[in-house]
Amino acid sequence: MPKRTIEDHLEIEDLLREEYFDLLPVVRRLALQLETEIRSLTPSILHDLRPYEQLVVKSRVKECESALNRLLGPKEGRTFDPDRPGGYSLLQLPDLAGVRVLVFPNSRLIQVGETLRIRFADWIPKPVKYGSGSAQAPKYIGCCEEVSRAIRGEYQVVPMLLGLFWEVEHAAVYKFRPAANSKHMRTHRTAVEDSLISFEMGMEIFVRDKIGVYPENPSKN
Amino acid sequence: MKKSEILRRADYQYNFDRDLWVNPKVKKAFSIEFVDDKPKTEIVRRIEESTNGNGWIFYFNMDPSDGVKRVLEEVLG
Repeated sequence: MPKRTIEDHLEIEDLLREEYFDLLPVVRRLALQLETEIRSLTPSILHDLRPYEQLVVKSRVKECESALNRLLGPKEGRTFDPDRPGGYSLLQLPDLAGVRVLVFPNSRLIQVGETLRIRFADWIPKPVKYGSGSAQAPKYIGCCEEVSRAIRGEYQVVPMLLGLFWEVEHAAVYKFRPAANSKHMRTHRTAVEDSLISFEMGMEIFVRDKIGVYPENPSKN
Repeated sequence: MKKSEILRRADYQYNFDRDLWVNPKVKKAFSIEFVDDKPKTEIVRRIEESTNGNGWIFYFNMDPSDGVKRVLEEVLG
């Protein structure tokens, strides 16, 4: 089949959708590979969790329209430029496949992060800042060469409360430009994040001061 | 009065696909970034600015390329 040329904006979007569905089987494999590897690296932590602690591994494949929007970025007018040198490709995106590891409480975040870092040592760190302080959730971007050298994926280790909040917040604010640009909404978001951080810290301090060393997980015996 | 109210009263509608305030009758479009960054007085002045009505006028912080203008003109009608 002769290669189509990009002549107008609508064709750019159509060609990117075609590219998305061409890449999709490999992106799915990459998400599965990442999730499987991360699960296989964390059972010792999983089995050691106290009754109030949690560790959940979730993978996702970026949806088609979300990928197109991400490629557009925060450009005024949200329009692909037909005259852009080099054109566009979804391979420019770092997160077509992603895994989010949700942990509670925060002390487990460091443990999980360090465990995964050994396997993914060559992945590039892109930590995500949140709240009004200096809190950061580790995020890494890279390739699984067994699956593809062209398609990159990411994994994130996130405090669970924050990750669950982001699932709602991303659609409502992050991906909705008027809300994302609003100082008021940014203030509300930061307030929620600070509050979630405070809850997690409160829980850790409570356990440390009131319970002390938690008894060995009874299910291990 | 809020900027969004000023635009609504001047028959501008929000285009969620492009994040633009658009008035097809007078063929003007304001990017949300422009509206956020500029003072109300400038928004009002731009709304009242007369045009020849032949082509679209885009009020952006950074002028869109000719290619983007072409596409937006086609999409906005």
